[in-house]
Amino acid sequence: MRSPWGDRRARAAAILAAALLLVAAPGWAGKPERLVVQDPHYGEVLFHFYQKDDFTALTHLMAAQAQSRVSNHELDAELLLGGLNLEYGQHREAGRIFNRLLAQVDDPAIRDRAWFYLGKVRYQRAHFAEAEDALRQVGGKLPRSLAAEYPLLMSQSLMGQGRYDDAAAVLDGWKGPADWTAFARFNLGVAQVRSEDLQAGARALNRVGKMSAPTPELKSLRDKANLALGYAWLQVNDPEAAREALERVRVLGPFSNKALLGVGWADALQAEYRRALVPWLELRDRDLLDSAVQESLLAVPFAYGSLDAHGSAVDAYLAALGAFDAEIFRLDIAIDRARSGELVPALLDADDPEIARWYWQLNAVPSSEDARYLYHLVADHRFQDGLRNYRDLLALYNHLDDWKEKLGAYQDMLDTRAQAYAERMPSVEAHLADVNLEAMHARRDDMVTRLDQIEATRDIAGLADATERQQWELLTELEQSPAWSHPGAAEARDKQRVLKGLLQWKLDREFRRRLWQQRREIASLDAALAEADRRAADVYAAREEIPVELDAYRERIAALRPRLESVQGGVMVALGGQEAALQLFAVRELEAQKERMATYRIQARFALATIYDRASGTVADRGSADQ
Amino acid sequence: MCNKQPWMNCRVAGWCAALMMLALPLAAETVAPPADEPAPVLDEEVQDLKAQVLNLNHELFLLEEELLFPANTQVAVFLSMDIGEYFDLDSVQLKLDGKKVSNYLYTKREVSALHRGGVHQLFLGNVKTGEHELVAVFTGLGPQGRQYRRGASLNFKKDIGAKFVELQITDREIKQQPEFFVREWE
Repeated sequence: MRSPWGDRRARAAAILAAALLLVAAPGWAGKPERLVVQDPHYGEVLFHFYQKDDFTALTHLMAAQAQSRVSNHELDAELLLGGLNLEYGQHREAGRIFNRLLAQVDDPAIRDRAWFYLGKVRYQRAHFAEAEDALRQVGGKLPRSLAAEYPLLMSQSLMGQGRYDDAAAVLDGWKGPADWTAFARFNLGVAQVRSEDLQAGARALNRVGKMSAPTPELKSLRDKANLALGYAWLQVNDPEAAREALERVRVLGPFSNKALLGVGWADALQAEYRRALVPWLELRDRDLLDSAVQESLLAVPFAYGSLDAHGSAVDAYLAALGAFDAEIFRLDIAIDRARSGELVPALLDADDPEIARWYWQLNAVPSSEDARYLYHLVADHRFQDGLRNYRDLLALYNHLDDWKEKLGAYQDMLDTRAQAYAERMPSVEAHLADVNLEAMHARRDDMVTRLDQIEATRDIAGLADATERQQWELLTELEQSPAWSHPGAAEARDKQRVLKGLLQWKLDREFRRRLWQQRREIASLDAALAEADRRAADVYAAREEIPVELDAYRERIAALRPRLESVQGGVMVALGGQEAALQLFAVRELEAQKERMATYRIQARFALATIYDRASGTVADRGSADQ
Repeated sequence: MCNKQPWMNCRVAGWCAALMMLALPLAAETVAPPADEPAPVLDEEVQDLKAQVLNLNHELFLLEEELLFPANTQVAVFLSMDIGEYFDLDSVQLKLDGKKVSNYLYTKREVSALHRGGVHQLFLGNVKTGEHELVAVFTGLGPQGRQYRRGASLNFKKDIGAKFVELQITDREIKQQPEFFVREWE
């Protein structure tokens, strides 16, 4: 049984609209919310996240968590990890993270945010009822940016279940940003028209169709709403209401061709064929690739025919046939070129890889003979999204290529370090052998013992300097001389006694100061010895650790290399698949153009033949009447 | 062939249906399948592939940091902004021990990310343990749109662990002037 929402394409349309809205999310900032960052690495992740560089933000967050550098923001970091995975299209991982948080955390604020994101995950997987359930679990106040997004998600989830009235009620009470509301209302209106509730759909589309639109995106949306509304009125045969809506579409906007065609239909439905010719003749001279222009090539002779201007109708049909033939010929050439496989790489030739995914859009095509076909292709969101994915994969491939190059450089660096280590080691070993730290410590201990003895015995001569010691020894030796006791040496003995006394007095007076100085010297020696011990320990440790560290790095590089190759191979395959899909898409689109052109050609020929038949029948009738 | 009115109705109906379908173009890659359909294999494969790349990238990132900027020599300088209404940041020049190590020009998007609370890692490098001097020169537009250039410095001691330094631009409400700080991240 079909769901009330209609088919998958309609649901998909709503999802895309939501995706567009979410893209616009950074624009809904008002005054931005600020967070007090306590861990610099968490702030650094936010720096990339706020610039929509999800890949870098994810990588840095995973690394910061692994290094325990976001401990002050543990739960916020976990929520951010889930949100980033969601933005990066990793729905399963995002769902796992939010479910884990809900199972482990009691904090209501964290739980509300986890439920919100889980709702978003489910919504993006088109699990609309489950998304609604999750969103209804949000009990308290969400941060402002999420609170702004909440009604949008809720209304889209309700629309996904076909509950348009409920969705409309959510949107009516919503004071969100104007562009978000407009997109959601547009989706609602289209869904209601498709479910044959034209009055409700028209109300929603009218609000969008009459809104003030300050930005190009909103102007475009307003045109789309008026176009959809105009054709909806045409379908129920209300040409006047249709004309009113269609005339609001900008004349020079991207939807003007379809609006002009519709205005012509509105006139024609009122049998105002002459008036219908005005927009249709204007259309006829525009680019034939537009389906409205193609339609006008048949509509113009149809109007002439309705006005009984059969000669003009024949001329118009013949002109249409010529235009269709020429276009089919050019399309055949373009199809061949698209099949050659040069299309996709050529489109990204002038790409700037620095532009983040969500900001990126292909706005210019290479100047070539196919340019006018390419403009139609790249205007298609399916092609743009495919191209964006191709670009993503290409960026991943190049990113992995950079890592391969870096790993090579790191391997060289490790080899150089190992070589430098091997070269330096013999001289380091020799140096270590020369330095006998144990002997130094023994000498220091000996010095301390001697100093202690000097202090204990108050050996004042023990602290004498070299000159004083020499003088002391000389004066003491004199006492041992055989001539010392000779009567003629009395004067010398007096002098010796005075000098020794003076020296003794000096040494005694300076004993405390000299002892303190020696103690200080020993303390300084201790510090120097400790530093020498530490450095020696570092050298010994480095001697042991460096080879181990170098080996560990080498092992990590050796283990990462094959993974890098394997993942890059996978990306290459996916890249090829995506390129083939884009190429196929381009070829199919061009073939569809050609087929449409061929169908129009058949219709033109058939109409022409009918006019000729009628004319010849009339002539034959006249002939038989004359006879 | 049908007469005029049904032929025209036929065309109009076809166009209405087509336009309602195309009212919003579809994006095959961003569209999830309905709940009762299994997810496409391609999507699962791409998710797996992206998960593998993310894990690998994270491991390579850690290896790179440990290899090039080991914790015992690592110093990182971060720039943050608190409000920043009186200063429109253009660039920051950084000198470490008298040597220019960074001269960074900020884009509007980066400044906006800083305003929202993002923190930019301006420099990551290696220094020996011991005393160092960091000088930052901020350039931009000050109050009343005048050219503004201010410096701030910090003497810090590098120990065995990684050292994180914060440059902060903040507002001084009373003077209605910006203020610039350099401090060790606590």
